[in-house]
Amino acid sequence: MARRVLVALVAAACLAAIVGFQSTRVVKAASSPRVFVPSPRFYLDFSPSFRTSIADAYWLYTVQYYGEHLNTDQRFDSLGPMLDLVTSLSPHFRRAYYFGAFALIDARRPDVSYELLKRGYTANPGDWHFPYYLGFFAYTFGPQGAGARAAAAWYSKAAETPGRPDFVPRLAAVLFAKGGEKSKAIAMWASVYTDGDKYSRARAVKEIGKLLPAEKQARMKAVAKLRDLMPPVQFDQLVADLFPGYY
Amino acid sequence: MSTTIERLPESVRRKSSAPIIEIRDLCKTVSVGFWARKVEILRGITFSVNEGDVFGLLGPNGAGKTTTLKVLLGLMKATSGDVRLGVSGLADLGYLPENPYFYDYLSGAEFLRLAAQLCGVEGVESEARVEALLNDVGLSDAADIHLGKYSKGMLQRIGIAQALVNDPQLVLLDEPMTGLDPVGRVEVKAIIQHLRERGKTVLFNSHILADVAELCTRIAIMKAGVVIWEGHVEEALAGASDLEQFFMQRVTA
Amino acid sequence: MRRVFAIALNTFKETIRDRILGVIVLFALAMIAGSLWLASISLDEAGRMMKDFGLVAVTLFGLVVAVFVGASLVHKEVEKRTVFVIFSKPVGRAEFLWGKFLGLCATLFVVVAAMGAFLFATTWYVAHAPSASILLAILLIYLQLVVVVAVTMLFATFTSPILASVLGVCVFVAGQLSHNVFSLTKLGHGPLVKVASWVVFYAVPDLSAVDVKASVVGEDVARWSSVAFWSAYLAAYVVLALLVASWAFRRKEF
Repeated sequence: MARRVLVALVAAACLAAIVGFQSTRVVKAASSPRVFVPSPRFYLDFSPSFRTSIADAYWLYTVQYYGEHLNTDQRFDSLGPMLDLVTSLSPHFRRAYYFGAFALIDARRPDVSYELLKRGYTANPGDWHFPYYLGFFAYTFGPQGAGARAAAAWYSKAAETPGRPDFVPRLAAVLFAKGGEKSKAIAMWASVYTDGDKYSRARAVKEIGKLLPAEKQARMKAVAKLRDLMPPVQFDQLVADLFPGYY
Repeated sequence: MSTTIERLPESVRRKSSAPIIEIRDLCKTVSVGFWARKVEILRGITFSVNEGDVFGLLGPNGAGKTTTLKVLLGLMKATSGDVRLGVSGLADLGYLPENPYFYDYLSGAEFLRLAAQLCGVEGVESEARVEALLNDVGLSDAADIHLGKYSKGMLQRIGIAQALVNDPQLVLLDEPMTGLDPVGRVEVKAIIQHLRERGKTVLFNSHILADVAELCTRIAIMKAGVVIWEGHVEEALAGASDLEQFFMQRVTA
Repeated sequence: MRRVFAIALNTFKETIRDRILGVIVLFALAMIAGSLWLASISLDEAGRMMKDFGLVAVTLFGLVVAVFVGASLVHKEVEKRTVFVIFSKPVGRAEFLWGKFLGLCATLFVVVAAMGAFLFATTWYVAHAPSASILLAILLIYLQLVVVVAVTMLFATFTSPILASVLGVCVFVAGQLSHNVFSLTKLGHGPLVKVASWVVFYAVPDLSAVDVKASVVGEDVARWSSVAFWSAYLAAYVVLALLVASWAFRRKEF
């Protein structure tokens, strides 16, 4: 009997110790913002069969790391290397690039975001999100004026990518105009006119009208340049819309 | 010195009066342990078994009886010596190992069916034989019970059944009476008698000398890897009060 | 042939009843279910996480079955002396080995299929769409494991079961790193390293060549003609391994 009591006490003491030790982790401060992240080189030499699994494991780690530090010290020193590792091991893991780019804003490193997105675009040239986000970053964080131009160039690339939403070419056109590249803006609005619905066409006509020179002959000359960029039917229609009574 | 195990074709066997087992100067050396120390288990065994014999292979533990059987079956290769079998192959041979252990998860009937299949007996013939054998060894009621639940005696009996599933001409039994209760022993003895009546040849090892005296026509006594005596049971009993005494005389000489 | 199938069926019955298998399958199912939880903390990448971790789980647990059961298959029969009963019948050593191999492959198929079906269903649920590529990936994982079984059985003919298991795992790992070994043949320092690398490169089966996990998660595009080619290579490898095992087994004494 006494032996059983002793065994029970020992078991209870061990259980209490286990619970006690573990609970100290709960009240401990958040883990350091600087954690060890192996170089991608280390894992790239690994088996190709398990690369994506390792990338996924690090992805989960990255998400937890971000969430933890977002709620505590707002420091994300290792976020860049983590995203670097995940995307090196899994270059087509697009969400890692998207999320990573915006998360790095919290880390106050939009430059790293930009580079990350550029790498993502190289690996995934058929995905419109990349040039679209690159345009956003160029515009938001780039220098005044030059940022708008760079953004316009990116949005223009996005506009050429299949699957992009309708507003992307409109955005490109607006930014071309903002950056002072009127002829490019006009050309972009012309493509909006060609592919767009009734609303888009009306908007395109309005914006092209604003961008064209004031003088009628010059206007017509400028519009004539669009003949090579548009199918004949749409070109004629645009002319009719811009110059009512022309035909 | 040839090391072949010759299995004579049936035509030759029927014509000649050659024994069904003939062993000459059989030697077997094994390597034991990490340093591959050589141990001689058989040191020139010579004996023969005639067709229709019930032959008892006797000897103290470690004499080499089981090893001799294994060489006969091809489970071990002879180091040197000559072994001739008057059967056409393993298809004509049945074997019951010592302390048999079979597949726990198979029922008695399933196990016999597997044994039959391995001997090339299938279909209706297999079913008929399995049923008959289960009957012969008194295990008809336990046919659907898993072998894992069999007692030692039941295992021994199913072991004998699987040795006979291909209706072999030559039956080798290693300690067939071990673990059997008196009823079981009587049954096994009856089976061996029945085999003899049907003209089969039986070779068995046993420590139960009373049974050997009762069943066997001829015996050989082995000691330390050699045969020290071979002959008819009557000859042995002529010079001693019983077989046990004769055995002790020879083995302690 | 009939004897081979009789032994195969017997082996299948023996191994499928092994409680260890049930535990392994349960663990695998738990791991896959655990992936569901993990997936919920992956920011909407649940489908990808499920597929990836699930396939890894199927591979690892399948490997455990292949290696530990494969290594002990023959040893158990020798230890329990059921092998005496088998070889007292007109059964060749090679027939016995092939029968054992086919029986274990059948058991492995059931285990991998069970885990695979569960993974397929959970992935469908999480990603809201079925993924046929998962089924193909699982079939190829099964092929890799069949190779591991053959190699493990080969080792088991002349070493202890534990050592054979360890070597089986080593061959699996080496098989995943075959391209590294190839690099060593080019970049290794000194003739000894290079020769050793070439020997290892040819001796070890290139398992990563039939791995399509990356394409299942959209990371890669599977080149099916290449996969078919390398599957044929692995089939030839299995046959060769078993032929060598049969030769080694023929010389064994019981």
